[in-house]
Amino acid sequence: MKKDILIAGVGGQGSLFATNVLCQYALERGLNVLGTETIGAAQRGGSVVSHMRISDQPIYSPLVPPGRGDVLLGMESIEFLRNIKILARNGYYILNLYSLPTVYTNLGIDRYPSEDEIVAAVKEACEKGYIIPATVKAAELGNTQMTNVVMLGVLGKVDDFFEYSEVKKIVEKISPKKFLKENLMAYEAGRELV
Amino acid sequence: MGEKKYVMGNFAITRGAVESGVQVAAGYPGTPSTEILEGFAEYQGIHAEWSCNEKVALEVALGASLSNVRSMAVMKHNGTNVATDLLMHLNFTGISGGLVVISADDPAGHSSQNEEDSRILVHTYANLPVFDPSNAIEAKSMVKDAYELSEKTEMCFILRPVMRVCHSRAVIPFEDYDEASFPKAQWRDDRDRYIMSGVEVPELGGIKRPQARHRWLNNKYKELQELFEGSPYNHVEDGEGNIGLVGCGIGYTYIKEAAGMLGKKYPILKLCTLPIPKKKVLGFLQDKEKVIVFEELEPVVENLIKQLCQENRIPMEVLGRSGFYPPDGELTAQMVLDAVKKADPQVKVIEEFQARKIDIEIPVRTRTQCVGCSYRGLLYNVKRIARRYKGIVFGDIGCHDAGSFKPLELQSTIYCMGASVGMATGAFFAGEKRPVFSIIGDSTFFHLGLNGLINASYQNGKQVVVLCDNATTAMTGFQPHAGSGINLYGESAKKVDLDKFGEAIGVSVHHVDPYDNKRTYETLKEAVQEEGVSLVVSSGACYLKGSREGIKFFEPREVHVDQERCNGCMVCINDFGCPALIYEADKKKVHIDELTCVHCGMCAVVCKRGAIS
Repeated sequence: MKKDILIAGVGGQGSLFATNVLCQYALERGLNVLGTETIGAAQRGGSVVSHMRISDQPIYSPLVPPGRGDVLLGMESIEFLRNIKILARNGYYILNLYSLPTVYTNLGIDRYPSEDEIVAAVKEACEKGYIIPATVKAAELGNTQMTNVVMLGVLGKVDDFFEYSEVKKIVEKISPKKFLKENLMAYEAGRELV
Repeated sequence: MGEKKYVMGNFAITRGAVESGVQVAAGYPGTPSTEILEGFAEYQGIHAEWSCNEKVALEVALGASLSNVRSMAVMKHNGTNVATDLLMHLNFTGISGGLVVISADDPAGHSSQNEEDSRILVHTYANLPVFDPSNAIEAKSMVKDAYELSEKTEMCFILRPVMRVCHSRAVIPFEDYDEASFPKAQWRDDRDRYIMSGVEVPELGGIKRPQARHRWLNNKYKELQELFEGSPYNHVEDGEGNIGLVGCGIGYTYIKEAAGMLGKKYPILKLCTLPIPKKKVLGFLQDKEKVIVFEELEPVVENLIKQLCQENRIPMEVLGRSGFYPPDGELTAQMVLDAVKKADPQVKVIEEFQARKIDIEIPVRTRTQCVGCSYRGLLYNVKRIARRYKGIVFGDIGCHDAGSFKPLELQSTIYCMGASVGMATGAFFAGEKRPVFSIIGDSTFFHLGLNGLINASYQNGKQVVVLCDNATTAMTGFQPHAGSGINLYGESAKKVDLDKFGEAIGVSVHHVDPYDNKRTYETLKEAVQEEGVSLVVSSGACYLKGSREGIKFFEPREVHVDQERCNGCMVCINDFGCPALIYEADKKKVHIDELTCVHCGMCAVVCKRGAIS
């Protein structure tokens, strides 16, 4: 088996925590895990992409090659679109429908596509996936920083490889103490979204 | 017995050094190398330091090595440029205790001002042996071997990991080590080696010492070529046909990745050492018609193989970075596939990649100052002053360099560490009538900026140097420096007194609180009008770091945009550019994104219509 996962978002959205949870899950099952992230400008609102590769066979490249991704998790709409080429024909996506304008869209140099346009483009390009309001949900729960955990809850629900209750145990294990209760709530909330 | 841990490649390198008994490790932060040195903070009994710059770091490491202990210097490729002067001397002297230099490359320049292949400096130029790891596990193993071989050959060894090795995450074996077995410092004079000077060497017919040591280095190079014939990092994998694939460092990794998608098994030569093992390479070339070399980033090994073919009269097509596949940018498995198809059009690719059609324009995302950052208010005021006095602003490396992009487009140049101050001096002496400014961060200032400042004052130049002091190296993830007051371990350390420094070199020093908009503007105005060189120190801790630590920067205040008053003039967007300010083109109004705003209230002073309060 192999599971190539990509998480695309903007610096500060917490993709690293999500990556750690999923890697830990795979490691505990005795699988090979290899990953990498582009973190250069991550702390300054730049694009962040985390690659995560899980397999029972040897893994060479830490980068998921284009067209080989099994799951694409988009934490922000245009960062998701930017990485859509990674998704395999039979892969699926989970998109958090959430827009973080860029400097250029603010200036009117670029245009940030509307939600309707984004949804239409995604459905046109990909057969299988889920569009969810994870950040809105996290804000309802009190902190947008929990977007990542809401998305993990969705993944745990829809992906057979990631057993819902087992992933939850890892969220519980590696969450910092002061966010533990909130994170578990966010994880449960993710399940309710799909 | 040790254990296995899932860690970043950089920490695998740290661990390799620790298990090898490194006693002194020095470096300067730079993506993708930074975490290597940070990793030492977890281990007892090792002196690890953030040096002022990479040359100083290498000097520290060399001093430790000549004192007979194992040492390491850590830097990114730009840093290796800075340290090259010393590299071009220690290659002649050789070392005592094992010395390994990490020179991490960033192909594609994901987090750099340029992209370069530091193998050219450390190998082609300095003739030092290089290990080019294909993955994180190998990087650790190479570090350990490098220490053994460094002492065996008396040579400084280089590990050249690329970003995808540094920032990969993999399961790494952590082995036990015995601290008691590590050598203790013991200086021994070796004046024939360590005194690099043009004195005669009678036993070599009176040639001068630099030539004698060059001869030593050339002989060492041959010795290394022999040594690497048996290196575990070079091997051949059999395959079919007369096209061979040569994989160097991560190039090997991408060949292996691509091999799973190719309908034919090609012979592979893995070459992860420099110099290359000539006999092994010649053996591989024997029944081939062409070989394709995959390496990051320049055709270094490709050219060495071409040279080998020429020396041995082998008619061989040696293809690679010199133009057969793209000669710039980061290597990928797809590039390997494309190159193989080009060389062997008959080959079938399993599951050919087909791009998904996406019928939408995707906006670019540039980085900017964080919401709440003190630099935003400072840059806003520098821009106002520069506009008023028609100033030219020379930029430098660090978080503040985001001011050179839209919307501010304040700095007119970004080159290398510390270049801003010297370039501003040059523009002034060129006769430029417009006032010149330089903007430099604190860490960069202590790295190589202060030489430029001393020079500006000494030459009797005129400029305003804006020192963005946030007490840390923020860009690379908050490493302390000589102006921070703490060291790598977070312990209290001496801090440069900028007032005394300014006084000593003859520049006037001003201080501003960047959150105090009015005073900042007035001070900059004062500075631009005075004679000589002015140093304006803007002190405000890094907001990102400080807010995580619970430091209070300002009295949080509710900020909102009065939609009646906002006339969409865009001044707040163009001159201030906080990401929490969102312009809605259809309404021609600005609003504040509640999820992003940190309530610093700085934007309120920017709006001249008083729409933001």
